Amino acid sequence: MNGARVEFRGLRRRFGNTVALDGLDLTAEPGELLALLGPSGCGKTTALRCLAGFEHPDEGEILVDGSDITRVPANRRDAGMVFQSYSLFPNLNVKDNVAFGLRVRKAPTARRHARAQELLELVGLPSIGERYPHQLSGGQQQRVALARALALEPRVLLLDEPLSALDAKVRVNLREEIRRLQLSLGITTIFVTHDQEEALSVADRVAVLRAGRLEQVADPATLYDRPATPFVAEFVGTMNHLPGRVSGDKVTVLGQELPVEGPVPDSADVNVLIRPEAVLLTPDEDGDGKVLVSSFRGSTARLRVQLPDGSEALADVPGHHSVRLAPGTAVRVALVERPVLVSVASSGEHGR
Amino acid sequence: MANAPLSKNRSKSWLAAVPLLAFVALVFGVPLVVILGGTFTRGGAVSTANVTESVQGAYLTALLGSVKLSALVAVVGAVLGTFLAQAVVTSRFRALREAVLTASGVLSNFGGVPLAFAWIATLGNSGVITTSLGFDARGWSLYNFWGLALVYLYFSIPLMVLVVVPALDGLRPQWREAAQNNGASAWQFWRYVGIPVLTPTLLGGVVLLFGGSFAAYATAQAMVGSAVPLVTLQIANALSGNVLIGHENVALALSLDMIVVAGLVMAVYLPLQRRSARWLR
Amino acid sequence: MAALSPQTLPAATKATPAPGRPHRIRVWRGAILLVAAVYFLVPLIASFAFTVKTPGKGVTLDAYGQIFSAEGFGRALLLSLGLGVATIAVVLLLTLPAMLAVRLSVPRLRPILEVVCTLPLVVPPITFVAGISKVLQWGPDYLASTPFYQTIISIQNPDFPVVLVLTYVVLALPFVYRALDAGLSAIDARTLVEAARNLGASWPHLLLRVIVPNLRAALANASFLTLALVLGEFTIARLLSFQTFPVWIYTISGSQAQVSVAVSVFSLLITWLLLLALSSAGARQRSGK
Repeated sequence: MNGARVEFRGLRRRFGNTVALDGLDLTAEPGELLALLGPSGCGKTTALRCLAGFEHPDEGEILVDGSDITRVPANRRDAGMVFQSYSLFPNLNVKDNVAFGLRVRKAPTARRHARAQELLELVGLPSIGERYPHQLSGGQQQRVALARALALEPRVLLLDEPLSALDAKVRVNLREEIRRLQLSLGITTIFVTHDQEEALSVADRVAVLRAGRLEQVADPATLYDRPATPFVAEFVGTMNHLPGRVSGDKVTVLGQELPVEGPVPDSADVNVLIRPEAVLLTPDEDGDGKVLVSSFRGSTARLRVQLPDGSEALADVPGHHSVRLAPGTAVRVALVERPVLVSVASSGEHGR
Repeated sequence: MANAPLSKNRSKSWLAAVPLLAFVALVFGVPLVVILGGTFTRGGAVSTANVTESVQGAYLTALLGSVKLSALVAVVGAVLGTFLAQAVVTSRFRALREAVLTASGVLSNFGGVPLAFAWIATLGNSGVITTSLGFDARGWSLYNFWGLALVYLYFSIPLMVLVVVPALDGLRPQWREAAQNNGASAWQFWRYVGIPVLTPTLLGGVVLLFGGSFAAYATAQAMVGSAVPLVTLQIANALSGNVLIGHENVALALSLDMIVVAGLVMAVYLPLQRRSARWLR
Repeated sequence: MAALSPQTLPAATKATPAPGRPHRIRVWRGAILLVAAVYFLVPLIASFAFTVKTPGKGVTLDAYGQIFSAEGFGRALLLSLGLGVATIAVVLLLTLPAMLAVRLSVPRLRPILEVVCTLPLVVPPITFVAGISKVLQWGPDYLASTPFYQTIISIQNPDFPVVLVLTYVVLALPFVYRALDAGLSAIDARTLVEAARNLGASWPHLLLRVIVPNLRAALANASFLTLALVLGEFTIARLLSFQTFPVWIYTISGSQAQVSVAVSVFSLLITWLLLLALSSAGARQRSGK
């Protein structure tokens, strides 16, 4: 099974007055796992459904390995899809669910059963072929749905928030397994999610969508370290918004002068976006910062700190430092020296 | 012990159910026992003569007539009701859906004498449509088997709509999309998934419609009198004393026949309903 | 995987709206709705036309005026309404405590209650009345010397036949049971009762102040269904020879066809209004929560 290249070109789709896709351009390389990430209503699911053939773009085209499939009916596209939940046919047992596509193609019974068994082993459920969907847990149902989506050896695998209805623990297990499976099959996979942690942890590349347009597409590390826009910076990981003053291509924040990355806004007063791990704390009786709350997370601890100007910021410190930084401790606050993103000051509060 | 205040009363709280059970036993149970006892009694002696008589001659014709009419109405009503429900469910107009559901609620209860009169006024011998379209000159009559079926459909189709709309709503769009995604055409989706999932509900609806038509008496009495042989009309006839002296208990035997038929049909219905509830949860 | 190759498809231009299927479905749906509308509306319109058009007199609403002056109208309607109210009272008094008790403390009895309350569906009213009339006939023969004899006679008083209330309660049981069962499931009666008991409420207080207000929609629903049933019931009343409203309509149809159709149209309108009132009341309660 070879991965296909999937291209969205200038995709537009509106529902009544809402614009779901506003000229989306995006390419998934052969064999890669591309996550579509964004808040609800950003168009990520619409893009996926256009690729599956359940929606039709008003404008633009979708290419798979260079051929235009925009007008191909959904039942003749070569893409297996896993839905958010409850998509298994309730009247068929697991084996028949998995082999549904083969049945539609009139494959002989023996082949159907053999293929279903093979796929169930692939997803780690070799012995539940005779059960019915209502007898399975949510995680099992999604594994079966995955097996069904792979049964016809599609060139593209589409995952539409496949984990969002599951418990936290099952979610982490299953996403790792999806990734392992995807790597071993080498199938081009498009994974829609609103959960940035999920996207960052499984994808080769993550495309952040906003209001129907592509905001940035990059590998997870780049996305996290070098977000192209304040929106991406906000949406991926946690950000502090600290008040700063721009002069030239530098910005002064907490008494430190840092280079500005990306476009410099016209106004002098800005919010400087700082990751919690870029906030450095040193216990110091004369320090003008103060630890307010500490939540220990094992290898790290996240602290909420009061800054000299009265505003607050989040800071991540190594877990074993948290003892010295108990709530009430006076601290000196510094920032890591590196280029920072700034946005025009509006609310002046810190990030999520 | 969160239940402590309740469990203290548990020992005697079943008493609250006693009046209801006693009432049903007396008002419902006693007549049933009497039907059973009367059916097997003739002239003061135990006998199966009533049962034998009730499945012979005119009585048999009436019983079969009722079964035929009810089966026809049930199947046709179920099919038409399902199509109507599907048309409403797939419509984008919320108001149409509400209107049809409310109308179905009313019309499914619109039976009895008023229903008969509405149709007599429409398609009866001097009905508005009959006279204005000149049906009377072409030998049209509402007062026969087919006319009765037409009228019974008037409350059966809405009943079917009420039964099947929740089931159609329960068909998840993901199932259709997943089927398409696996290469199925619209017809293949219905054949392998849609219809099998709906089958328990559809059969349940058929049973309900059958029961409704089978038990109907008022409409038939007001419309056709005794022109169409139906078991309900025969029972009423016999109860009104229209039987041979000494054969009064034939009415009870006919009643028992009806209960047996209705009971058999119901016995099919309950397990089906349970299954569809599980699928459509 | 050849299915995807583009040459198998007609080279559709971009301006074409999505494939032809939706259009076909819309036509098909429109046709069904049209046929249904004709079938369901024509009898209603025709009935109305029948009542207002009199040969030689043109269009008048006389038939509707005559309803109220017709011989026996008032008595029959009052009788049916009275029977309806009595039936609602009895059926609710019997079912509500039983269902509450079973739900709260003896769940083992629930299947039994359900079967008992569903059973009347299996027994057509005509067979039920066959049994009842036999009991009423036999009663005097066997019970002549006992006080039961007086009871049997008095429940058949034509001014207010209690025997009809009794039978109508049985007929209403399945509908009332289902309506109340749905209502009780929706309010999680157990938690409510536990909370109220925990706050020290007495049982009667609890029933009237906690359960009943929360069940208002379900109780209204059950009452409406019962009322509709009683107002429309013909079989039992006719065969036991009581002049209820439907029996009265049937009786006058011989002499006053127009009036009887007018009453039929009228009764449908009333049912419609009641149902609308009920559903809007239900909606109000739901949104009020």
